[in-house]
Amino acid sequence: MKKKLLAVLLATTMVASLAACGNSSAPAADSSAPAADNAAAPADEAAPADNAAADTSAIDTSEHVKITYMTTGESPTGTKEKYEEMMAELNKILTEKVNAELDIYFISWTDYLSNYNLTLAQMDGTVDLVGTASDWLDAWPNAKNGAFLELSEEMLQTYAPQTWASVPAENWELCKYNGEIYLMPEDNYAQWTNHGFAYRLDWAKEAGLEDGVHSWEDLTTYFRYVKEAYPDITPWDSDGTQYATMVGGWISSHSDYVSIDGINSGAMWGGTKDDLYTVYSPYVTDTDSLVEFAKLMKEWDEIGVWKTDVLNNTTSTNRDDYRIGKVAAEQHHTQTWTDLVSHTPANTIYQDDEDADTGFFYFGEESQNVTALSITHGAMAISAGSKNPERALMVYDLLRNDPECYKLFCYGIQGVSWDVNEEGLRITPEGYNQDTDNIGGTTNYWWGRNDDLEIKDATRNWDAIDKLYAEYDSIKIEYPYGQFVADVDNIQSYISNINEIHTNYMKQIAYGKYSGTAEEIVAEYQEALKAAGIDTVTEELQRQFDALYK
Amino acid sequence: MKKRKSDLTFFQKVKRSRTLLLMCLPAVVFFFAFNYMPLPGIWVAFVKYNYRDGIFGSKFIGLQNFEFLAQSGKLLSLTKNTILYNLAFILLGNFLAVFVAILLNEMRSKWFKKVSQTLMFLPYFISQVLVGILVFNLLNYDTGFVNGILTSLGLERWQPYSDPNVWPVLLVIIYLWQQTGYNSVVYFAAIMGIDGEMMEAAKVDGANGFQRIRYIILPSLKPTIVILLLFALGGIVKGNFGLFYNIVGTNPILYNTTDIIETYVYRATMTDFNFSTASAVGLYQSIIGFVIVMTVNWVVKKIEPDYSLF
Amino acid sequence: MAKNKDMDLMESGAKVKLGTSDKIIRGFGYVFVTLYCVCCVIPFLIIVSSSFTSESVIRAEGVQIIPKDITLEAYNMVCKSGGIWWSYLLTICLTLFGTLIGLSIIAMTGYALQRKDFPFRNAISFYIYFTSLFSAGLAPYYLLMVQTYHLKDNYLAVLLPLLMSSWLIILMKNFVKAIPHEITESGKIDGAGDFKIFTALILPMLKPALATIGLFLALGYWNEWYQSSLFLSSKVAVKPLQYTLYEIVNKTDALKNSVAGQFINLADIPQESVKMANAVLATGPIVLLYPFVQKYFISGITVGAVKG
Repeated sequence: MKKKLLAVLLATTMVASLAACGNSSAPAADSSAPAADNAAAPADEAAPADNAAADTSAIDTSEHVKITYMTTGESPTGTKEKYEEMMAELNKILTEKVNAELDIYFISWTDYLSNYNLTLAQMDGTVDLVGTASDWLDAWPNAKNGAFLELSEEMLQTYAPQTWASVPAENWELCKYNGEIYLMPEDNYAQWTNHGFAYRLDWAKEAGLEDGVHSWEDLTTYFRYVKEAYPDITPWDSDGTQYATMVGGWISSHSDYVSIDGINSGAMWGGTKDDLYTVYSPYVTDTDSLVEFAKLMKEWDEIGVWKTDVLNNTTSTNRDDYRIGKVAAEQHHTQTWTDLVSHTPANTIYQDDEDADTGFFYFGEESQNVTALSITHGAMAISAGSKNPERALMVYDLLRNDPECYKLFCYGIQGVSWDVNEEGLRITPEGYNQDTDNIGGTTNYWWGRNDDLEIKDATRNWDAIDKLYAEYDSIKIEYPYGQFVADVDNIQSYISNINEIHTNYMKQIAYGKYSGTAEEIVAEYQEALKAAGIDTVTEELQRQFDALYK
Repeated sequence: MKKRKSDLTFFQKVKRSRTLLLMCLPAVVFFFAFNYMPLPGIWVAFVKYNYRDGIFGSKFIGLQNFEFLAQSGKLLSLTKNTILYNLAFILLGNFLAVFVAILLNEMRSKWFKKVSQTLMFLPYFISQVLVGILVFNLLNYDTGFVNGILTSLGLERWQPYSDPNVWPVLLVIIYLWQQTGYNSVVYFAAIMGIDGEMMEAAKVDGANGFQRIRYIILPSLKPTIVILLLFALGGIVKGNFGLFYNIVGTNPILYNTTDIIETYVYRATMTDFNFSTASAVGLYQSIIGFVIVMTVNWVVKKIEPDYSLF
Repeated sequence: MAKNKDMDLMESGAKVKLGTSDKIIRGFGYVFVTLYCVCCVIPFLIIVSSSFTSESVIRAEGVQIIPKDITLEAYNMVCKSGGIWWSYLLTICLTLFGTLIGLSIIAMTGYALQRKDFPFRNAISFYIYFTSLFSAGLAPYYLLMVQTYHLKDNYLAVLLPLLMSSWLIILMKNFVKAIPHEITESGKIDGAGDFKIFTALILPMLKPALATIGLFLALGYWNEWYQSSLFLSSKVAVKPLQYTLYEIVNKTDALKNSVAGQFINLADIPQESVKMANAVLATGPIVLLYPFVQKYFISGITVGAVKG
């Protein structure tokens, strides 16, 4: 009995000390929270610094605060040492300029959406700057649900003057909901995330496509050829998840459809280039087109473009296989292609075969239908629970516009993690060790990159990339629905069910795994959509459109 | 000298059983802190959650969060799948566990018992993700192990991932494979607790193996079996997400026969993250489980009060 | 002890002849159990040998039962990520303390609840059982732990919630019920208090039950990663084992997809084999716990204290 009591006592003591351990490794995030200057924009900082680079003289920065920046990503382990060095350098500058220091709060990729929202829900000052995106991080729903602080024009002008000045007025409009600005957009960074197929240009030429692949029919020819000439490889070892981009790509290749972002992942509603403000869903109206698609996909399945059990092929690593020449195509967006087309050490196809080249067949090429990326695809917001919103804005302003801070944050310490060659392009310096020095992939700063300060990566194939970008620029339209923040409260349940139907049917259709004829499966799909209330949603969206745009 | 319980006042009862009460205290506090304290938060299923307003300040919207489940038209089939699979798991799982425990008990070789118990336990440790990978490696059409054997025997290949009808059986087999070792531990311990004298006496009396099992072991195990069954009933509309999600994955061809409530909700809310909907579904599951358990427990109490849960 | 197949030696010394039905049961038992064990071992063997197989072989041919192209690359990758030994230590600590504390509480509660003369047992049983039926969901639980209990980034957030569950308590209650009430009564006659009866008389007879529940508790702690993912942020240096291993796989994924991926020959980064290595590293130690605990099961029939 005594022994047991002793054991229990011992255990409790140890547990208590564990608790102490656990606590001490957590930085006292609250200790730096100043009691004063909380919510209201300070009235005495009258002079709006409209062109001053860092006129913080009128602003009270006497108290040293810690600003926490929340982003998705894994916290550094191998690169931890160099990461901490970089942060120390960065914080030196930040302290000097605005008497603040930056701390990164990582939301691990495991269950990231859940943990991201839970952290936002804490509302206790744990995070100040929040990286967000209107397409994959629910920027607008979160703004509507009170997670983000309203950023008044005065606040932005005072505390983030450079950002304020560099973003044009019409772009600020697109960051508003109910008249209030919630997001600071990454609008000065060239990025194309429109989808298509990256393919082996050299193999396409062998197949008789002199100019490469420029249509879905060309693709079919290409795949047939690859299957015959290179029988040991799977042409496209898909993992079964690209159904939405495939069908979406087909639709935009055969019509003038412009989709609305952020309503659902299938981007099922939108307008046309000629008539932007009449809402429709091509998945309901373009029946013939969908039947064509279903037939073609069945053909691809029969050719053997993908593995038979493609829908369960979760361990596939197609992109890596492409780099080493084990597959013939990768379906993803332009940004990925800029990587695949470049002669980096990882892309061994270029070392093994001097003729190797990668082309990009972008969806919409046939119809010249390409929409530029919405400016809020990456944006920075301020948590509504932040205790230091003003200082947070000042820190962001520096990160985005100050060359020193920008380079440190995006690339690391010069000479260690990166350097510049004679042409002014970014290279890896002597003695660079991938495992310990790679800072660029750590801070995940996808919410404020700035082409004015970007140093181009020397390993990228800028000739090919610039050429494609120029082509896009000549035919693109700007994303037209930036101002539209859908109010989905009453139709959310319909949308959730429609999502489910779309996913389930499209998986079978896009991989040719349906039974029966193409007409039958498309009809079944459309009936299910109707039963789930797709017309109700379309009508509701139209109503909201009319209120906003007419 | 028996005082009738009804003669004692509440405080007298407390005083008499104070040691026992104290012994229960840590558990009571634990459950209060971790299970009852969050319960009021169930309110989140009835509001439109706003970060600034918190759970209790957010706008009340009644049953709206439950709508998407109801409107999907799938609610019935999902509930049916969930319940049927769970019934199979519970009944077959317990049957197999008892079966294995009894068999093992009959073995005399200590070495064999030890080794086999450890080996049987192994599948439990394999994470669901790995199980999914292993099953895929076993069954897939192009490179699967099973198909490798079939082709070398000159038979046609089998394409299970396109056939929804085989999966109920496959999933139950996988579940049994993974859980039996773990489940049988409870029964094995229970058998260990059976009065040794009874067993000895039975042997001396000439009872053979089957008789021993039928007349001594099984009846002694009955309370344990009933309690485990009853307990499992409460969770009959829940659980096993890991198993289904990792093995079936997101292959819609198989959904008709393999989709359960949790996998459906997970997919539906994956791109539209919503605390309220998740809570609403949890509440739906809890209520059904509650009704089922209360009913069955009441029935059991009438038949054999000793076996009821409470 | 003579190894005579027809004789069965019991502890009391009585010799009983084996009947054919016993032989049938035993024979069948050996066959069935052996087959089942083979089914259990093979997947595990596959995992172990795949962890030693090079990534390219796994990608090309799937997992192997005999390692081909043997390499320690996957293990290197895992150990290189650092901190794994600390994670082991942390998890072992958590498991030990959690199991000890939890087991004590569960045993006490289980005993009290099966005492027929305890007037509050039904109420408390229901109180405990009810918690397994209803739960408020993720958000209220998370906010309670973080905002009210301030347990974010605190190891207690992992230790405390796993201390017990209603299932374990009910299970324990059931085991204790099997102990004859005469024992408690004899203790009372001797003048002992309830707690003394519990510790001196009941506990020694509960060995199989304690071993079982202790095992389940320990497994719960060992396998836990969910609480870690919710409450231990990147600010915590050392995380429990399963979560650390999970993160290692994720980091490999993230590394490949990030901009950084371009500088390394990605075919070399072990990924599938890392998952296998993880499984081996995670399971290894706990598999050894089970034989240790087994002796309480196999010790034979120990109950026999009640005479007359």
